[in-house]
Amino acid sequence: MAAGGIQVEGVRRSFAGVHALVDASLDAPPGAVTGLIGPNGSGKTTLMLILASLLRPDAGSVRVDGVDPVADPAGARRALGWMPDILGSWATLTVRETLVTTGRLHGIGKEAARQRAAELIALIGLEQLADRPTRVLSRGQKQKLSLARALVHDPSVLLLDEPASGLDPAARIELRVLVRRLADEGRTVLVSSHVLAELDEMADGAVYLEQGATASAERLERARTSLREWRIRTLDPGEQGAGLVAAAARAAGIEAERMRADHQGLLVQVSGDAEAAALLAALVAGGVRISAFAPAVGDLEHTFLDLGREHLA
Amino acid sequence: MSAYLSGIGVVVGLELKQRVRSVAWYVLLGVSGFLVLVVTAVLGLSLGAFGNDDVGGAVFSALIFFVLLLGTLVSPAVSGNAVNGDRDAGTLATTQVTQASAGQLVLGKFVAAWLTALSFLAVSVPFLIVAVVIGGVPLATVLVAIPVVAVELGVVAAVGVGLSGVIQRPLFSVVVTYLTVAALSLGTLIAFGLAMLTVRTEVTTTYVDVDYEASEFDEQTGEITGEIVCADPVTSTYEVPRADTVWWLLAANPYVVLADAVPPSFDRDGNGLDLFTGIAGQVRQAQIAPEVEDFVDYCAEYDNLYSGSTDYDTVEDVYGKTVPSWFVGLAIHVAIAAVALWGATRATRTPSVRLAKGSRIA
Repeated sequence: MAAGGIQVEGVRRSFAGVHALVDASLDAPPGAVTGLIGPNGSGKTTLMLILASLLRPDAGSVRVDGVDPVADPAGARRALGWMPDILGSWATLTVRETLVTTGRLHGIGKEAARQRAAELIALIGLEQLADRPTRVLSRGQKQKLSLARALVHDPSVLLLDEPASGLDPAARIELRVLVRRLADEGRTVLVSSHVLAELDEMADGAVYLEQGATASAERLERARTSLREWRIRTLDPGEQGAGLVAAAARAAGIEAERMRADHQGLLVQVSGDAEAAALLAALVAGGVRISAFAPAVGDLEHTFLDLGREHLA
Repeated sequence: MSAYLSGIGVVVGLELKQRVRSVAWYVLLGVSGFLVLVVTAVLGLSLGAFGNDDVGGAVFSALIFFVLLLGTLVSPAVSGNAVNGDRDAGTLATTQVTQASAGQLVLGKFVAAWLTALSFLAVSVPFLIVAVVIGGVPLATVLVAIPVVAVELGVVAAVGVGLSGVIQRPLFSVVVTYLTVAALSLGTLIAFGLAMLTVRTEVTTTYVDVDYEASEFDEQTGEITGEIVCADPVTSTYEVPRADTVWWLLAANPYVVLADAVPPSFDRDGNGLDLFTGIAGQVRQAQIAPEVEDFVDYCAEYDNLYSGSTDYDTVEDVYGKTVPSWFVGLAIHVAIAAVALWGATRATRTPSVRLAKGSRIA
């Protein structure tokens, strides 16, 4: 059982009649970033709280680095670092004191905690604000502090609940690089987010949660292979360009109904990577001067939207 | 065990750091210090005017009761939102996912709240010293009164922290803490008063008067000139409250605990010298059952009316024939504190089964 990573099997949890989680199962391996995706109220935070050893599941089994957080919360807490979706900080304590205190609460000695705090301040780039009270921090800076706090005891499993919300684009890129690095060091990282494009770039895998249940592998496969729009931009202007693309699409066996235009260019529905490759070959063969040829929405977003559509149908 | 204690120590340090940096705490300390100064000055000047050497005891006792009042009024405010306030601020859960257990978190918050309340006692220490310098304060009084106040402040701190763990809304838990303090300080008095009304006993008094018609008097001086003839005994009945059956209600009063715990000091006539002895004397008096049969032979005493045979008990006499109750009251208080802290620990334990309505646990 000491496989490491996170294993969740058939977890159920309800609050006073509201079923927050009905049947959640997931497997997040060590050394990888796993995205946890779902609409608001789908149970993402509830699942995070159960993994963080704060909530007891009604049923099902949970393992965090091989430890059951219900049976051995202290053991699970040694292994996990949790970044909550709510930004709470001790307002009058400085950034450094916050990290030292958190380290001490984890049972780290005074000197070691001080050293670790200095390391983390450098890691998240808050050197300038290290000795200012946390109430002066911006939302993004608090977010960084929250991540640093989760890392104080060098956990092997990281639970990040909406880590990117409130961050500016530059900070998002920094976060992405940092999260990737943490996973490459062999940690298990589970990230929940609404920003799917964000996750697309850092997640190795994803778990879809809707109405308290994780989507099954078959449904995911179906969603993944459904028609998906690709964006095409050509140097050939307007009508002429559209005519050339339509001709190439016909040559690749794609009907005209699967093509449409928007303000940025042309969009063609493609059934999969093979058909996309065939379309590109036809475009090049047809002498169309292509400047861009890519999926219009990211992988995760496509799957997410498609699952949602299936649900509505 | 030492790892457990050092965990509590970290929580205490965290709590105190936050309090020490809040302006509100300094304002409260300043206001308290000023009030104690005013009370000391007024007491010292007004009592000192009597030119009594032993006035120090009276000043000291009045002052320490004032400090107890002040402490129990401030303590709920600094302890009553310790746990649920953190939950509201979103900082509780981040401590719950560390190695610090629910017990360590609650105990750490309790110790910090207690130390904060003790700072209000510390502010008044210079003024207590003034009272001692005035003179007439036995060392035993100082050595007992201050620790008892300290323990009582701890009880209020524990109730505040405990309720803040059990009750979700900070405002509500602070109010309930105040109500608990009020129930012990005033509620016990009201309960005692009401209970006395319901438990009454009938007293029969037989009174023998002088038959003034039959006796011979000197018309001018009223002196007896001949034989005194006694009148027929007159019997009357009336009801008196039985304080002795309900006096224990007062034992749970923190002011009574303080008064009763301090060793009494009396003057040569057996009267109490300080407020401790005065208050505790009253409670002790309440323990004595009224006499159900009373026989007053006025006629027989007529001869020696002014011979000083009045056999009223002095406070010292009352102390002599009654039992102390302070340890019972203190035990009740400590038990309430322990239950409150235990309840908070239970409610803060994670992974939690219950989630309060409308609240996220983060």
